[in-house]
Amino acid sequence: MTFKHLVKTVFLTEIVKGMALTLKTMLTRPVTRQYPKEKRPAMPGFRGLHGLVRDQQTGEARCVGCGLCAAICPSKCIYIYTADSLDHKKIVERYEIEALRCVFCGLCVEACPYSAVILTEHYEYSDYSREAFYMTKEKLLANWDNYMGWEKNMEYFKKFWHPTADDFGFPKNQAVFRGKQNAR
Amino acid sequence: MITITINEKKITLEKPVTILEAARSAGIHIPTLCHEDILEPYGGCRLCLVEVEKVPRLLSACTQYITEGMVVRTETERVIEARRAILEFLLINHPLDCSFCDKAGECDLQDLAMKYGPATGRFAEGKRKHPESYDDPLIVRNMERCVLCSKCVRMCEDVQGASALCITNRGSKSYVEPFSGGRYNCEYCGNCLTVCPVGAIMSGLHRHDYRSWLIEREVETVCSYCGVGCSLLLQIRGNSLIRTVPKIGRGLNRGLLCSKGRFGYDYISNSERLDTPLIRRNGELQPAAWSEAITHIARRLKEIKENHGSDAIAGIVSGRCTNEDAYVFQKFFRGAIGTNNIDSVASLAYGPAQRFFERIFGQGVTANDIHGISNSDGIFVIGGDPTGINPVLGLQVRSACKKGAPVVVMGYAEGLKRFSKHAFITNSTTETVLLASLVSEIKKKKSLPGERPVFEEIISGLQPVPLKDASEMSGFGLNDLVDTVDTLSNMINPSIIVGRDIVQTSTGHMSLLFLAALAYLLNGRIYLLSELPNEQGLLDMGCQPDMLPSGRPLTIETFRTRCEETLGIAIPSTPGLNYVEMIEAAHAGRIKALYVMGEDTVQGLPDRNYVSDALRNVEFLVVQDMFLTETAQYADVVLPSLSWAEKEGSYTNLERRVQLTKKAVEGEGIEEWKIISEMSKILGLDMGYRSVTDIFTEIVRISHIYREITYNDITSGRCMWPYKGGPLRHDVHIEGIELPDIVSVMKNADESGVQVRREAHLFHSQNASRYSPALQSISPEPYVKMSETLAGRLSLRDGEHVKVVTEAGSITLSVHRDPCLPENVVLIPPFEKGGIFEITKWKVNPVTKAPALDGNRVIIET
Repeated sequence: MTFKHLVKTVFLTEIVKGMALTLKTMLTRPVTRQYPKEKRPAMPGFRGLHGLVRDQQTGEARCVGCGLCAAICPSKCIYIYTADSLDHKKIVERYEIEALRCVFCGLCVEACPYSAVILTEHYEYSDYSREAFYMTKEKLLANWDNYMGWEKNMEYFKKFWHPTADDFGFPKNQAVFRGKQNAR
Repeated sequence: MITITINEKKITLEKPVTILEAARSAGIHIPTLCHEDILEPYGGCRLCLVEVEKVPRLLSACTQYITEGMVVRTETERVIEARRAILEFLLINHPLDCSFCDKAGECDLQDLAMKYGPATGRFAEGKRKHPESYDDPLIVRNMERCVLCSKCVRMCEDVQGASALCITNRGSKSYVEPFSGGRYNCEYCGNCLTVCPVGAIMSGLHRHDYRSWLIEREVETVCSYCGVGCSLLLQIRGNSLIRTVPKIGRGLNRGLLCSKGRFGYDYISNSERLDTPLIRRNGELQPAAWSEAITHIARRLKEIKENHGSDAIAGIVSGRCTNEDAYVFQKFFRGAIGTNNIDSVASLAYGPAQRFFERIFGQGVTANDIHGISNSDGIFVIGGDPTGINPVLGLQVRSACKKGAPVVVMGYAEGLKRFSKHAFITNSTTETVLLASLVSEIKKKKSLPGERPVFEEIISGLQPVPLKDASEMSGFGLNDLVDTVDTLSNMINPSIIVGRDIVQTSTGHMSLLFLAALAYLLNGRIYLLSELPNEQGLLDMGCQPDMLPSGRPLTIETFRTRCEETLGIAIPSTPGLNYVEMIEAAHAGRIKALYVMGEDTVQGLPDRNYVSDALRNVEFLVVQDMFLTETAQYADVVLPSLSWAEKEGSYTNLERRVQLTKKAVEGEGIEEWKIISEMSKILGLDMGYRSVTDIFTEIVRISHIYREITYNDITSGRCMWPYKGGPLRHDVHIEGIELPDIVSVMKNADESGVQVRREAHLFHSQNASRYSPALQSISPEPYVKMSETLAGRLSLRDGEHVKVVTEAGSITLSVHRDPCLPENVVLIPPFEKGGIFEITKWKVNPVTKAPALDGNRVIIET
């Protein structure tokens, strides 16, 4: 038994050290978040609940039903049903995402040529039934209204999802090449 | 042998072909936009440019033929540069609306632009504007998307022979338009849709309904409309049929379709379809459960059998039923009920004609390859318009005509007007006389081959009819008839195409004999036009009152006992009633129970009032149909049936090719064979089938025609007559054929007045077409066609409404003037409302037992 050891045993320094840490921690701010009361802000680019962008002018969904998101979706959880309207326009009758099967890869957002489908920062959507996670078009539009909104969306979109091509806007009456680069 | 090198790969070919074909045979892909295998090389799109050694310029692979030692490179930098330049030019005007263009995903231009094209363009002046055309009910044209490959125009002109489309205007302003302007005035074959490489000509039926990558399944099946049996590809998403497309190069249609095959599929999703059985209670049809309906029918049939005997029960099968359903139905009637009162719609014309020819020439005489028509050196069409009844067969006639074969048409054939060398349209008695005189003249020119001495005796015993007499009677010029005789006797291997109008006359048996003589003298092959997909199959399955399966007479004891032993059932020895006799017996009250499977008797038989009365007279009427048809409205029990896309089975087409129909979507209902075996079980005959394969195995066992064939044989597409070796019944029964007394026919012919004849309408084929909104939208208004002189005498213009009156009734129709018609004939197509059968009466032909429609005289009241 060494002297050092003897001192530790006699004066119970370990306990004192431990108690000191306890006392110190008691006086500092806690790291634990009181989750339901205290919410953690999402990191930039967080991929949460799905939403469908509501067009500013028309108030309708921006989606044209091109089906690229459904084509790229690795878990095949996007269902799109389109139809011809009376004035011969393409209308999206049903746009549905089965959120429970989604893997949140974000490929649908990247694939969308009209940036009409997005992943919001909202992550609190637990529920008791499976049906609640079957996102219909109305639910998806409401998600956008509630959790994204136009301003936030633009910022978000520019930062993370802007496609790399030159001009990928919604075509005015007819799409025209407006490329700046010289074609080869 | 020619040896060439493509992309450093040595290829040896026997014949000089184009570079494109040589490359494709070696598995090298050369992109094209304007090339299609069934069309002539065009060289318009310049995308197939390839580099050939020692040739300074790039050559188009689709027009350049290979020569010995040629060295071709298809993907050099120079070639790719050229293709990119062409695509950039195309994309100057092509809109970038891929995200809502239905063609996206299967668009040739899109694929090529992805592979070669520039991602950006340099042309900033704006695009050509051309509003999308929605004038047509079925076809949508978007000429902004058109790349002017002209495939549609060439298809329409060279293959379909309709010549309805053309390229209008010049240069960058050119676009494709039908001659009739916005709305098409054509046959609606839709082959222009098949070949369009971009989304310029699209079907309006499934417009914006799908994306090509969202189609989950494809099922290859057979069309349900006519007796040709074209191969179709059904594309399905979930449980709904998105569209039907032809399979290029597959099946006997080789990628061609007609309006019915392409647009007529929508009847299966018609909202009027029945989904639950209906039982008549207190005079009204009320929904019932399946088990209840089946037990009810079985119980009532049992009662009637006990009270009135088996022969008071009769069954009618439709030509839309599969072989398996038809077989089970006749087995149920013969085995469980114990009557031979079983017949099908095939007995109205197709069956009698076939039986007549087989009696003379032996079994299988009408089983000729449809493709043979285009190789024959002359065509004789009688009794129906092949382009209207069997459009894809009609294309073969046009193709033969393009190759130089003369076409002689007797009877009205709208689709062959521009293709026939001689056309004779007259009433049916004169037609027979005309035929007799043609035969007697040809007999003088052609020697008898000596193969069939008994039949040759009959031919030499035919009464001669001088052309002069026929000319006087018919009003056709003598020179015309002499020319026709020359044309016909110069034919070496002609095709003789026989439609139903010639059979359904009181002189039909005579006409058939003359036709047989003509076929024998000219060494012709006989084709029978069939309006329903499985008329041949019904005959083969024994849905005839006097024939067992495989066309063996019931009255011959050895056949009957063999059949009884194999099946373990007792078959009554006396032949039953045929279709027409059943209706007559029902009218007289002798038939107490009638089971109609899939057929709308009221619409399908000539005299509507008479048939309705007959059906009202039946004590217990069971109708199995997809819709609540007019016949079903008289029924005591209505059972919903499945459509052709909802069940498995097989169809036998008019050339006796057996083909499979496959289940594509789930339908609400039970397969016919299941319903009937359930009933049969209650009546004491347990058939014990578990699947359609079981039934087919039994058919193969019992039918000597279908001996040894399996579903695998059918799937491989080799199931052609004779299926496995020759038929067993070679004997012919020529004895008993009476020599027609044509002289007295000529003497007694009553030529007065205006006679009404049936026009086989392309879009109104009297079956499923009336429940297809797409087909109905093409030509919805019923009409009467009359000659210019008749219309002129009554001072009628096109489109004016007249009242057409006969003994049987009257209908109001709009007038179509037709310069080809003679003065004493008017034509009315079989529309659902305002069709010919509302105002006709029938007589029964004594020999063929087919209903004869001639002698219905009309008065036109303005």
